Order: sequence, then C-alpha cells, then structure tokens
Amino acid sequence: MASQTQSATAPESELTAAEKVQRLRELYADAPELSRRALENVLGELTEQVSQTPPPPVESAGRAGIRLGKVSELTVIIPLAPGGAQRLRAFLRLLGGNLNGADKVGTVHDMRFVFLDNDTKLLFATAYDGDWDAYIDDFATRIPDYLDILNAGWEGWPGIRSPEAKNYLAKHQVTAEGWFVANDLTVAETRRLKRIGEAVDEFLDKIQ
Amino acid sequence: MQTQTQLERDRRVEEKIQKVKDLYADAPELGKVALEKGLPDLTREMAAATGKESAGRVGARQGQVSELTSILTFAEGGAKRLRGLLQLLEGNFKGADAVGTLHDMRFVFLDNDTKLLFATAYDGDWDAYIDDFVTKIPNALDLLFCNIEGWPGIHDPNVKDWLVKNQITAEAWYVSSPNLTVAKAWKLERIGKALDEFLDKISE
Repeated sequence: MASQTQSATAPESELTAAEKVQRLRELYADAPELSRRALENVLGELTEQVSQTPPPPVESAGRAGIRLGKVSELTVIIPLAPGGAQRLRAFLRLLGGNLNGADKVGTVHDMRFVFLDNDTKLLFATAYDGDWDAYIDDFATRIPDYLDILNAGWEGWPGIRSPEAKNYLAKHQVTAEGWFVANDLTVAETRRLKRIGEAVDEFLDKIQ
Repeated sequence: MQTQTQLERDRRVEEKIQKVKDLYADAPELGKVALEKGLPDLTREMAAATGKESAGRVGARQGQVSELTSILTFAEGGAKRLRGLLQLLEGNFKGADAVGTLHDMRFVFLDNDTKLLFATAYDGDWDAYIDDFVTKIPNALDLLFCNIEGWPGIHDPNVKDWLVKNQITAEAWYVSSPNLTVAKAWKLERIGKALDEFLDKISE
C-alpha cells in the first residue's frame, strides 16, 4: 500500500505550481457548483501551498502506513469474531476508557478503538513515532499481554508472540491517502519539553 | 470520588476484575492466558481510572484532547477527485495549521473507494472545533467534502447535524499528553529552542 502511495505521488512533485493548479481545475471540472466555487476561492492560497516546498514530504512509515516528519499513522480495520465486540466493549468500559498502559510503549501519541458496522468490525487507529516495525516491536515487547487481551476478539488473531502477528496487522492495515500532524515532536521530545517548560517557569518565578 | 474510602475503592476494583474474568471465560485460550498474566497491571489501571469524557455533542475526550471519527460515503466521482487533490497537495495541509486546534488528521479510503474514513485529534469541545473550521478554512472544507454524498456545504445551517449524524464515538481513546493543546505544544517548542540558544550563549 505504502509503495503505491509513493509511486502515485512521485510525478506530482515534478509539476510546476501552474501545472498543479491546472490539474486541480480539471479535477474539479465535474464537481458540484459548491465546490467549484470553493476551489476558485482558495486558488490563491492553494497556489502558494502547492508552490511551497512541502514541509517534510509525506513518506512511507515502513511496511504500511505513512509518516509526516517524525509521526506516523496506523489505521487497521479488523473483522471481529462472534462475541468479540461484546467482550472488548465491556472490557474497555470497565477500564473507563483508561488506556494508560500505552504510556509504557513510549511512542504512541494517540490511539482510538471504534466499533463499526453493527459491531462486526473494529477500527483501531493510532499516531506514533517512527517506523512501523519498531512500533509493533515496542508493543510486543512492552505490553504483550494487553494486546492479547484487547485482540482476543479479532478474527484470526495469531497472538502477539506469533511470528505471524506482523503479517496479520499489515494485511488489515489501510494506508492513509492524507495525513497531517501539527507538531513535529516525538512523544519523548514532548515529555522532555514539558519538563523544560516547568523548569523555565520555576526559574522565572525565582528571579522575580 | 474523594468521599470514597479506600476500602470501597478496592471493592469496586475487585468487582471490575471479577467482571473481566467473567467476560473472558469464553475467550480464546490466548486471551485467557494474557488476562491472567496481565492481572496485576490491570488492577492498578482500574484503580487509577480517570475515565474518558464526552467531547460535547459527539466523540470522546481525554484531558483536553478529543477525537473525531467519521465514515462517509463518497459521491459519484468523489473518490477520484479527492485522491487527485490529496496527491497534488503532496500531503501538505498547511491550511490546517490555521485552525490552530488540530493535532492530527487522516484521510483513509475504504471499501474499494466507496467510503472515506476521516479521523482527527483536536483540542477541546466539538462545537468550538467545528466553528474553528467553519470560520477559518471554510473553502478548504467544501473542497474536501463536496466529494461526499449529501454534504450540505459548510455554510449550511444543517452542517453540524450532518456531521453529528456521520460521526461514530470511539469506545476508547488514549492520548499520551492529554493536557497539551496544540497551542501549548507550539509554545513549548519555542521555549525549547530559546533555551538551547541561551545555553549555547553562556557556554561560549
């Protein structure tokens, strides 16, 4: 998936800003009136945006998913086994939505569990630091039991210690077509900056 | 919570642990083993449960950071148009910085390009967040979402009802820094840089 995204975006980077704007107009030629008007309204801004060197370009996050700067996305949609949704939902509710165990992984920015299609599927989506392989390894080594509890209802889940676990995840992952992150900070950098911020505040208080 | 005695709290955690065991009685072997092994950690977490809150009309919030998750049906030709737009932008969503409350945002095409998963992490309340989008980047939104079936247009009075109808609240939501807004993170980045400069200067 990731490599498809890469090869599909490659030609765009060689277009000039004017060519890109032309492509946009063509793309929206058959769009509803509403959006053709919207396109004209933002064309000035967009021209600026497409002519800028994109901040860091979106890259592959490894086996699946994409990354912007230091932060990657993982989006999987998993079929649930009979009874799986009920068990998982009840488990998550007992935790009161508290998934602080994920702090131990040290590279997770955010993580959501969403039930889809009358509880037949689960959407699991995270924002994390760095490469896919290392991220899955972090989960597997730091909170393996949690994963197996959470994934107990996943149809065909081989278990996090199985050599097949990564194949299973990669198979169910869908690489995003668009990915935005506001702060190019890793979880570790953020934690460090929070400590620095507190220390600076203390320092300023003291010298007053 | 503060009026609860330690004993009552312990009893509630014990009840919860019992419920989890009941829940996993018919789980695959793998899950049952994991539960036994994870029990000490789990007990600690349940004792510390802070609880996810509501982000307002719809969605979950942890601390100051909320989640929005929507699955939308593409209009005829919409998937092709949106993919083309995203590829021409080469992942550059500078405009989203203008919103100022958006942590991350993904567009994922599902079910053979018939559906779009749109998921974001943002600061604060649902209503204020949507207002931010509407006032700060209305055209960009129409450009993205005109490709979706039934999109009423960002200036339509029914646009919020439409969004609520298409949003699915997460059952669980984790944020590593729940009290760090986008604005605070930007400020910390500046402080970090300033401190580095300062340290460089005094070490010269």
